[in-house]
Amino acid sequence: MGPAVAAAVILPGAGPDGQDPAMVEFCRVSKRYPTGVTVLADVTLRIDPEEFVFIVGPTGAGKSTLMKMLYREERPSSGTVLVAGRDVTRLPARDVPFLRRKVGIVFQDFKLLPRKTAWENVAFALEVTGTPPAEADRRVAEVLEVVGLAARADAVPAELSAGEQQRVSIARALVHRPPLLLADEPTGNLDPDTSWEIVQLLSQIHLQGTTVIVTTHDKTIVDILRKRVIALERGAVVRDEVRGRYAGGG
Amino acid sequence: MRAAARPGPPAPGAAGPLTRRRAARRRGPSYFVREGVAGFWRSGLMSVAAVTITMVTLVALGVALVVAGVLDQLTRSVERRAEVVVYLNDGVRAGDLAALRARLLRLSGVTGLTYVSKDEALSDFQQTLGGKVDLGDLLSRNPLPASFRVAVDGPDRLREVADAASTLPHVEHAGYGAETADRLLGLTRAVRLGGAAAGGLLALAAVIIVLNTIRLTVFARRAEIEVMRLVGATAWFIRWPFVVEGALTGAAGALAALGLVAGAYAWLAWGARLSLPFLPLPSPEQVALMLAWKLMVWGVLIGTGGSLLAVRRYLSL
Repeated sequence: MGPAVAAAVILPGAGPDGQDPAMVEFCRVSKRYPTGVTVLADVTLRIDPEEFVFIVGPTGAGKSTLMKMLYREERPSSGTVLVAGRDVTRLPARDVPFLRRKVGIVFQDFKLLPRKTAWENVAFALEVTGTPPAEADRRVAEVLEVVGLAARADAVPAELSAGEQQRVSIARALVHRPPLLLADEPTGNLDPDTSWEIVQLLSQIHLQGTTVIVTTHDKTIVDILRKRVIALERGAVVRDEVRGRYAGGG
Repeated sequence: MRAAARPGPPAPGAAGPLTRRRAARRRGPSYFVREGVAGFWRSGLMSVAAVTITMVTLVALGVALVVAGVLDQLTRSVERRAEVVVYLNDGVRAGDLAALRARLLRLSGVTGLTYVSKDEALSDFQQTLGGKVDLGDLLSRNPLPASFRVAVDGPDRLREVADAASTLPHVEHAGYGAETADRLLGLTRAVRLGGAAAGGLLALAAVIIVLNTIRLTVFARRAEIEVMRLVGATAWFIRWPFVVEGALTGAAGALAALGLVAGAYAWLAWGARLSLPFLPLPSPEQVALMLAWKLMVWGVLIGTGGSLLAVRRYLSL
């Protein structure tokens, strides 16, 4: 079951309209809670392979919910979410882990295991998904090299700076070689200089061919990078610019 | 858009520190067992409580099994003799004995009989003791009665023959093995029922305590579980260590109970062999063997059951 699903996730067929397949497609996606709160309202958007996208907007605009739908932590109340051509809202529960091996996820709070070293934190992602140890060793060495932490591999999170911890979590997100990398407020806990380093690392990863989606509050970074910007407000897409800024207009 | 982040080979300088690193640990059964054992120790006193209650449960079950087993064996040894034994008063004269023999043979259903004199009864008894004791030296007079062993053509005639025989002159008592066997069977059934009821209630308590122990482990490992889910570990990969922990708890309880019950039985059987050597008791080895797998199966069932319930209730994947 595993390999077949994985293949379906990486190698989608052409879209129904004959276009090249999108990496991510939201189709009239809404999320309402029984309490009456609407988190997302009729969101439709498309992100192509190898794009770098910022999703911006005030707290509570629905950015995180949008991200969570991409790795099936949340399901929409209505609408469909396609990842690499596959409708993840209809993915059977047993296939969700195989989706997550193809979607790297980075969080504001890093989510590192405090008792494990940087190396072990990264290796953990392979260990629990059944990668043979020799292969795992090789891949961990590779990704730690990519994030520039090869020399700090033996340190536990408490011995690392916040920026270094975020690099470890990015290495962990990359270790399955996902075509799609999601970073939910990756610089939320970092000072401006470190934030800038992390964003540059994400850009580098993007240049290697990975689709990267970043939610952020950081106006400076968005305005310097001039990448595609999707702005959410009260659960709706209010702006989508190819070379956008944090705030609209200018 | 194939897998991205595909860097070149690690820089030569990096090979040094990285190759020293501990190799990624092996997954598979050894992973689950290692994590299960770790969880068991992490839960500390709670694990001790879970093992203890499992042990108590299995001791109750074990005692019931042993008692029922002993009664079973006794019943069978009694049932094998499908005959009525007619015990005689002492001092019956030869003529009366011949008359009694004739009257017994005329009873309907009787197919034959043998006479066992007082002396023969004594030497038979001595034989069941293994011939080690010379009762003649110990007893000033032979306490055993003479008897007729009356063969009957069917087990359903036993009561009829025994009732008829006991009304005859010079007969002290007429009995048949099945009478004893019936009583033993009733007792066996009561022991089984009592054991099952007590065992069932205790098992319920044990399952609940195991469940709570596993819940502690789930709680202690929640950060790890979250990361596992996010990096794509399958649900069963995440669950297995908890199930293993439960099974280990049950197995530990079973081992403790086995030691207690088998040890106690060996000690009691040793005592009984000295004071009641004619009792056909199963050997301590037989009992330990029978207990070993039954207690282990029940222990592991209780442990696994508790952990599966905990995983269902407290581990949302």
